[in-house]
Amino acid sequence: MENLEDLKILAEQWSHQGIEYLQKIPPSQLYAAIGVLLFTTILLFLSIRLVRRTKSNTVLLSGLSGSGKTVLFYQLRDGSSHQGTVTSMEPNEGTFVFHTENTKKGKIKPVHLVDVPGHSRLRPKLEEFLPQAAAIVFVVDALEFLPNCRAASEYLYDILTNANVVKNKIPVLLCCNKTDKLTAHTKEFIRKQMEKEIEKLRASRSTVSTADIANDFTIGIEGQVFSFSHCYNKVTVAEASGLTGETAQIQDFIREYIKP
Amino acid sequence: MLEQLLIFTRGGLILWTCKELGNALKGSPIDTLIRSCLLEERSGDVSFNHEAYTLKWTFHNDLGLVFVAVYQRILHLLYVDDLLSMVKQSFSEIYDPKRMAYDDFDETFRQLRKEAEARAEELRKTKQVGKPVTSVKKQGQVLKAGLEGGNKRIGEAASKKDDGDGNKAKVSNLTNGHSKENQQLENDSQETDLANGKENTSSNVAVDLSKLQKLRSKGVRGRGVRKADSIGNKSSKLAAAEPAKKATKKNRVWDDAAPKQSRLDFTDSVDENGNNDHVDVVAADQGESMMDKEEVFSSDSESDDDEEPGSDEKPAEAKKKGWFSSVFQSITGKANLEKTDLGPALKALKERLMTKNVAEEIAEKLCESVEASLEGKKLSSFTRISSTVQAAMEDALVRILTPRRSIDILRDVNAAKEQRRPYVVVFVGVNGVGKSTNLAKVAYWLQQHKVSVMMAACDTFRAGAVEQLRTHARRLQIPIYEKGYAKDPAAVAKEAIKVATDNGSDVVLVDTAGRMQDNEPLMRALSNLINGNQPDLVLFVGEALVGNDAVDQLSKFNQKLSDLSTSGNPRLIDGILLTKFDTIDDKVGAALSMVYISGSPVMFVGCGQSYTDLKKLNVKAIVKTLLK
Ligand SMILES: Nc1nc2c(ncn2[C@@H]2O[C@H](COP(=O)(O)OP(=O)(O)OP(=O)(O)O)[C@@H](O)[C@H]2O)c(=O)[nH]1
Ligand SMILES: [Mg+2]
Repeated sequence: MENLEDLKILAEQWSHQGIEYLQKIPPSQLYAAIGVLLFTTILLFLSIRLVRRTKSNTVLLSGLSGSGKTVLFYQLRDGSSHQGTVTSMEPNEGTFVFHTENTKKGKIKPVHLVDVPGHSRLRPKLEEFLPQAAAIVFVVDALEFLPNCRAASEYLYDILTNANVVKNKIPVLLCCNKTDKLTAHTKEFIRKQMEKEIEKLRASRSTVSTADIANDFTIGIEGQVFSFSHCYNKVTVAEASGLTGETAQIQDFIREYIKP
Repeated sequence: MLEQLLIFTRGGLILWTCKELGNALKGSPIDTLIRSCLLEERSGDVSFNHEAYTLKWTFHNDLGLVFVAVYQRILHLLYVDDLLSMVKQSFSEIYDPKRMAYDDFDETFRQLRKEAEARAEELRKTKQVGKPVTSVKKQGQVLKAGLEGGNKRIGEAASKKDDGDGNKAKVSNLTNGHSKENQQLENDSQETDLANGKENTSSNVAVDLSKLQKLRSKGVRGRGVRKADSIGNKSSKLAAAEPAKKATKKNRVWDDAAPKQSRLDFTDSVDENGNNDHVDVVAADQGESMMDKEEVFSSDSESDDDEEPGSDEKPAEAKKKGWFSSVFQSITGKANLEKTDLGPALKALKERLMTKNVAEEIAEKLCESVEASLEGKKLSSFTRISSTVQAAMEDALVRILTPRRSIDILRDVNAAKEQRRPYVVVFVGVNGVGKSTNLAKVAYWLQQHKVSVMMAACDTFRAGAVEQLRTHARRLQIPIYEKGYAKDPAAVAKEAIKVATDNGSDVVLVDTAGRMQDNEPLMRALSNLINGNQPDLVLFVGEALVGNDAVDQLSKFNQKLSDLSTSGNPRLIDGILLTKFDTIDDKVGAALSMVYISGSPVMFVGCGQSYTDLKKLNVKAIVKTLLK
């Protein structure tokens, strides 16, 4: 407490000295100095803005383990899934123009694509990438959809209620993968089922006590059945097949937000 | 027979598989290995069994590569570790992150496999002849590999030397003339060290040998150098067998001499290097294996420096060097991390975890896993080893504590409701941990969410238990199902669930008697209760105060539930409720121990005496506290 008092006195003394010093300086010089100071800060802010904007060419591939993210990543980059994949332990990252764009002439803006592993133990990794994300592709396995519907919806719910996603209105593409197989569910079916699941989650995630699971935000409109159109950000649906290289809809989505 | 060998990136892209072997693997053993072993911080283990397969693996952490060998579990293939480490070495030389196809590796692999098989075969034949002979074989091989390896890695080897091991540097000074072979040899023997570290080595080798192995880490290599000299002089392209034979005779002599000396020096050497853990692994013997060869090899090539007088000065010298080189490293960020570099930092970290009440066994395993993920990695610029280790540990802790599956109980309750049946939770645990109190807290929490709850008093064992629960039920105005004391708890639970179904309760909370994990009859009763009623959630209630006993409690509960179950698919513990969390200050280790050993998430944390004192576990906060 005494320390605090001492500090106060000291600070007062300093401010007095400072004012005296200022009074000695001719006013014209003072204004010039203030002007320069203002100018540089504005410049600084602008440049930070600019850097941020140029930085945000980051697109995240997320979704449950086994949904086909890594295959899609390499399809987009190399046009091939090489010798196949196993469960990812670390993210795959790359800044590139899509394989299909290589033939196009002129300078194309590269995309920073991150394939975030879907294993639930590695979920916290996603949060590290969300602040810089310009768009998210949420990959769903359309073949083995029903057994994974709840888990996928929960993961998507966590993304849609994340503070970064809500505040930056990060667009999300619900990408139904593995549509090369006839038994794959349609994107309309998948969208409806996931909306239903999220509706249920909205009920169970209402927070009344410290024993509840804490999400940053709630989504949907009070008193209405949930639909993706209620989200703060834009959620669209598409189909793809990583195995056969059917990625046109994903590319269109990404290029909507990262202009070539 | 080897079933398959894969090389893939940590990102999950397969770079190379052996097409020759080509057998399609049944199921997906690789994915299972990654999901239930490598991502569960068990990568420090020796091997992993999945159905009919055994899998072994090794990492190249600097390049971010994983090498996995798969073989039939019934075949105790002796050469797998050897093969893996050679494949790792050869592949890392041709690896280029931009390249995705490595068809040219087929031929190299064929060669390596042949060599490894031949060595294993020879080992089998010579098993009875005696150890010195086997040791020599290995020696020849490693030497050869070293010579063939070329000069590329000399720089690397040299930089490795600087890592605080003054002795090594000394040796290289002595042998200026043949520094190439010498360094290469060291490099190689270090790699075999790494391979060995994972292995539980053979028992038949005399105790001396396993003790000798400990000395390897000291890294003084007078003999190895001499050997390298003699062979290097002859020719750098000697066939494998040749030098082996020649070295045999010398070797015998060394073998006789080495053990004695090494024993004398043994105690200090272990401590200086903080390599105790490694030693323990070695001591845990598990039958004859390929590895004894390597052990002998390393022992005779590296243990000799103890002959040098004035070994007392070494520690200080080493320390100085270590400090300087660590500063240097932190600026350049060049050196690859070695076991010996990581040792002290890991040891400190392990102790810190243990002061936070993490069970020793768990702390140990975690450190092994972190070590496995860092070894060979390049230190990035302006970072210290300790902070690198700490960051890796932090990642590992977050991974462990992050639930593997959903912990949204309310969602599950609603799902059960749709099926018009009650959601049943059984509370289990040892005596006096607060089962009934926390059951009441959970009941209160469910009530807040407009869920109708019923309690079932199935503690028909301890006097007063039913009355205690009845008091809670009255206070919360919750119906309770009770049948006094004499009855079989499984039957009481069954009746309670039936009543709940009839009167439309959403949730049944079943209180059971506290029991020690070793009490066979009571554990059998619990197993009956659980398997007979198939609850939706088996919640283990454990005290946050518990230390090393956490491991014993949880593993025995799971073990007994599985052993004593009569059904083919026994139910185990699904989740953990941690009680008395308000009394432990920063000693939050029990949360980690319990989650690690059971693989189940902490669903709730009890933190006080009132009904509202129930929380969700805050993973970030726990990790921060653990590493503070
Ligand atoms: N039929 C079919 N199978 C696919 C397709 N895309 C991926 N797969 C298969 O799905 C499996 C998993 O693919 P990955 O790309 O490794 O899955 P992931 O999403 O990266 O999984 P994690 O890394 O664990 O998060 C692989 O066996 C692929 O062969 C597809 O379009 N069609
Ligand atoms: Mg992947």
